[in-house]
Amino acid sequence: MSRVDDLPRRARPQPGTLPPPQALPQSLAGNPALPYPAIGQELSTLRLQIPGVHGCVLGGVDGLLVTHNLQNGADPDDLAALAATMYGLGRQVGLRLGQGDFQQSTVRNAGGYLSVYAINGHALLAVIGTDSINVARLHLHAPTTAARLAELLDGVSPATS
Amino acid sequence: MGNLDIALKNAMDIDGAIGAALVDYTSGMTLGVAGGTGEIDLTVAAAGNTDVVRAKLRTIEMLRLDDEIEDILITLGSQYHLIRPLSNRTGKGLFLYLMVSKSRANLAMARHQLRAIEESLEL
Repeated sequence: MSRVDDLPRRARPQPGTLPPPQALPQSLAGNPALPYPAIGQELSTLRLQIPGVHGCVLGGVDGLLVTHNLQNGADPDDLAALAATMYGLGRQVGLRLGQGDFQQSTVRNAGGYLSVYAINGHALLAVIGTDSINVARLHLHAPTTAARLAELLDGVSPATS
Repeated sequence: MGNLDIALKNAMDIDGAIGAALVDYTSGMTLGVAGGTGEIDLTVAAAGNTDVVRAKLRTIEMLRLDDEIEDILITLGSQYHLIRPLSNRTGKGLFLYLMVSKSRANLAMARHQLRAIEESLEL
């Protein structure tokens, strides 16, 4: 008998024993009730406050874009998806190590930074910075912006689609 | 990092010292802090003064002076703030930051002692 046969096999689930499908929360993306002008104001304030910020992307934890203020270059939809990927990794680390909720994650490359901040359980703020950005200052200011964005998002009823 | 802890401790032993930090001005992050008070967050001071150092370095470059900063003195109403970029090879991109009380410190002595600390600091 080969060793492969000794390995445990997954039994085919019987009909009726399947867990109920998970009900996912309504996506933030495309919700017309969001206060877009106020959100846009917060994002541009952050960009003006810290020299070296190329732009900000507000996305859901589902990876869908809500809004952004990127001028050129990167695709905001891609960045919203990347931010959710970084959030997913951070959340798993938090779960495995018992360190609680995801707060912030930064990637530094040869030519710049991408920082992702948790706004609340459903939304993320991604900030793209040049290599010369004062990243300590970004880490001081961005959580405050994230908290204000959380307040703006809190008062919104979920989209009905 | 024993060397860094000793350097920061020595900086806090300077008469009138309120807080000291070793800061990376490429990112604004601190490598170590000592002292500080409830109201004074040295990480905020480090991030802010990173912009001071960068502005001065850029000015020197724009003026084509081909020189470097030995130290920067900022005089407040009640405090002196001393910024001293590290000049040795291992300390490239770092500066020492020292806050001293104006009434309790001897500025010339503080500056001299900070130079000695910087020279002995090997990372």
